[in-house]
Amino acid sequence: MSESYDVVVVGGGLLGCLTAWMAARDGARVLLVDKDQVNQHASGQNAGSLHFQLEYRMVEAGEEAARVAAEAMPLHLDAAAMWARLEEEIGESLGVRQTGGLMVAENADQVGMLEFKAELERSWGLDVRTLDRSELDTVAPYLSRDIVAANLSALEGKADARIAAPAVARAAVAAGAAVCARTRLTGASHTPTGWDVTLRETDRTGEVRTRTVRTAAVVIAAGVWTTELGQVFGAGLPTVPLALTMTVTSKVPAFIPHLVQHAGARLSLKQSLDKTVLIGGGWPARLMRDADGAPEFDRKHQLIPRSIAGNARAAVNAVPSLERVPAVRSWVGTTTVAPDQLPLVGAVKGAPGVFVATGGSAFTLGPSFARVLTGLLAGRSPDIDLAPYDPARFTEGSTP
Amino acid sequence: MGRTGTDHNAIGQAGTEHNVVGHGTGQAGMFDLAVVGAGPAGMAAALTAADHGLKVVVVDEQQRAGGQIFRQPPEEFTGSVLRPTAGYGWATGLIRRFEADERLTTEFGWSAIGVLYDDALPGGLCLAVNHPQDGTRVIGARRLLIATGAYDLPVAFPGWTLPGVMTAGAVQTLVKAQKIAPVGDVVLAGAHPLLLLVADLLVREGVRVSEVAFAQNIPKPADLLHALGAVPGHVRMLAETGGILARLVRNGVRVSSRTVVTAARGEEHVARVELARVDRRWKVTGTPRAVDASHLVLGYGFSASTELARQIGCDLVYDSPKGGWVVSHDDRLRTSVPGVFVAGEPTGVAGADQSRAEGELAALAIAADLGRDVSATALAEAERGIRTATRFSTVVQRMFEPAREALGDLAGRDTTVCRCETVTRGTLDDFLEASPFVSDVNAVKLSCRTGMGPCQGRYCEGSVGTILASAREQPIGLGGRFSAHLPIKPVPVGDLRTLDSFLDAPPDAPPDGPGGDGSGAVDG
Repeated sequence: MSESYDVVVVGGGLLGCLTAWMAARDGARVLLVDKDQVNQHASGQNAGSLHFQLEYRMVEAGEEAARVAAEAMPLHLDAAAMWARLEEEIGESLGVRQTGGLMVAENADQVGMLEFKAELERSWGLDVRTLDRSELDTVAPYLSRDIVAANLSALEGKADARIAAPAVARAAVAAGAAVCARTRLTGASHTPTGWDVTLRETDRTGEVRTRTVRTAAVVIAAGVWTTELGQVFGAGLPTVPLALTMTVTSKVPAFIPHLVQHAGARLSLKQSLDKTVLIGGGWPARLMRDADGAPEFDRKHQLIPRSIAGNARAAVNAVPSLERVPAVRSWVGTTTVAPDQLPLVGAVKGAPGVFVATGGSAFTLGPSFARVLTGLLAGRSPDIDLAPYDPARFTEGSTP
Repeated sequence: MGRTGTDHNAIGQAGTEHNVVGHGTGQAGMFDLAVVGAGPAGMAAALTAADHGLKVVVVDEQQRAGGQIFRQPPEEFTGSVLRPTAGYGWATGLIRRFEADERLTTEFGWSAIGVLYDDALPGGLCLAVNHPQDGTRVIGARRLLIATGAYDLPVAFPGWTLPGVMTAGAVQTLVKAQKIAPVGDVVLAGAHPLLLLVADLLVREGVRVSEVAFAQNIPKPADLLHALGAVPGHVRMLAETGGILARLVRNGVRVSSRTVVTAARGEEHVARVELARVDRRWKVTGTPRAVDASHLVLGYGFSASTELARQIGCDLVYDSPKGGWVVSHDDRLRTSVPGVFVAGEPTGVAGADQSRAEGELAALAIAADLGRDVSATALAEAERGIRTATRFSTVVQRMFEPAREALGDLAGRDTTVCRCETVTRGTLDDFLEASPFVSDVNAVKLSCRTGMGPCQGRYCEGSVGTILASAREQPIGLGGRFSAHLPIKPVPVGDLRTLDSFLDAPPDAPPDGPGGDGSGAVDG
């Protein structure tokens, strides 16, 4: 065995890069592998929202579901604080701007939802304030006159999903981590000191080679591939993949400083530091599946007309001046949630030395996930109660 | 405006009375075949498909049929007569037959912007189309034929973004379709035989042409005879190449070989260009010489137009002689995506004869796929047509394959590589040096924004690919290709609000309703 590491991180998204960077900073010998490229999937395809308020998808299913979703608030508050200092620690721009996020309402029902939500969020320690129409005139003049109120969270904002993970990967390399693209983890066997993992790598001539490396620990930071990788380690990690639609416009002079979400519609939009406007909010696309119904993540997922049209209508209704702004790309990004919509974070049951984090808002929560995982790798006891996020909570016989 | 079909202006105001897919009435029907592109491949396919009883709609962003190669002047132009293109005797007949065919629904002025899928159209797809005035709609179809042609291969070198630098294809279009010619001293440079034809066209229009520079040795007339009929442009005219060369020289045009343009200089417009000697692999060997010029016309060859195929998710393969990234297909021109076929230049830049033959074969394959009777003779004839054309095109593709590595070296640190996002070569070099884990053009695109602008990388993919390949010492193909997304040409956000409304339905309802013909369902 020529190569050995303290930790092999599987997945070159934001979470994997952050974990590799933090572990390498702790002095660990780290190898990060990705079957494609760094930042090629959800981390680079999502819209870069830093959202800490409960999202529309969490409140549309009713108050009880919202209360369950609110249990992730400690992670959100931790992430909000970490994003605020991340650029300084990394030493590069990640496009972070925490200039506030608005959840807007158009009618009395939605205002009622905002009030319920704000109270719930405040009970968990998130500072949220409801703005009335006259305050919106000053704070967000770009919003439609149909918007009657909005909840403002000053911590919310955006990071640049295009550049964040590669910048962190560079920091990881500078801290001593090895980063290998086009390298797929295909097998693992347990050893007395950890794991021997099999890696299938495409070299620069296009030739495929297989090698085995020894490692004390493994971190699965693989988004939609989490379930598949869990199986390699003999562990059940149930996740539900979602294919969602996003649209970006050409560059327009800066006019939207906030993250904008909607209390009664699928809408999330923001203006990037590149001055493009990113429009999304959870409009579905058609996830490709094989003949047996198993998702096929390496195929191109399909756009649905009413999703693109519905998202465009929601965007123009909220921000009327978007009507004539050219749209340049609509694409499908995949994300993962756990069956109960709370994240999976922690040690993988039945696979000693294997850790995982994924499941909803993994871009926003990436810094917290990585900090928790790095702590677990180093044997530190977590300062956030991880019980609600236990990866084993869906396994038969386990009590959450 | 459609020649047949419904009045789409009546479909309702944006965002108000839109017809949700599946909830419309007559408008939610499906054509059997939607053809994108009314060039040789698209026209031939549409007519062949109609001959087999298929309901066909053809979409083209131009105002008239013909494609780039047989581009016609607008009908309003006086004396607007289609001049038969030398060597392509069949072209006029094909265009006239296509234009007169009452069975076809045609949508000129509409750009195909992508393909979507909806459960309300089982076994079919939604082709999204946009019109500058009439907005965005979809067209339902059981099968799609991509016949989107090719465009000039862009090459980045210092000054290539200055006004006055043009591509050979663009100059040809301006002269032929718009009756506009450059004024001043023109230098033409590149590697493609189209340069000679454009030079000749300009000289005939009275334009001063000072030099035509070829990167390779000038092909001998015997070589060019092999090339007949195998490249876009009026290449059968190459039979007259000897005559063209003589005419150019008689008009004082310098024709140089083993010469590449290394820079265009000028303040706000090209004032002079720099030409340098190169070796067999087009690497610069000598000190450049300056030549005064008001315009520089570039002709390095063509890239297949594959954005729509990429947006749909079709597999592509890298094949440099065929024009770079081309769409993979089987022997019946089926792509890797069920229900989607390809014909013409997107399969490999091979000229109008091969495009027409592929259009015919694709239409026959689609008709058979949809359960129509297709005679074995017709299939054999179409296949023979392709074989004949391929014999020529393969020779030409090899003869005129650009030396991409050397072309990639022309861009200096300050040279803009991506002109939409104004990203320089220096930015790319610095990023690649700082990010050793990056080895794919899409990863470069995401970090550096090259290819993220309105052109979706048509202009910079080649340059980014060669720069990446050289930095990583890997083959260009391994670096991958840019992905493309709807809308493949930008449309206002407001126009996307009607993406769930139909532009057209077939002129008469299908006998057994949408998707009811039992034809092989498109996977979804």
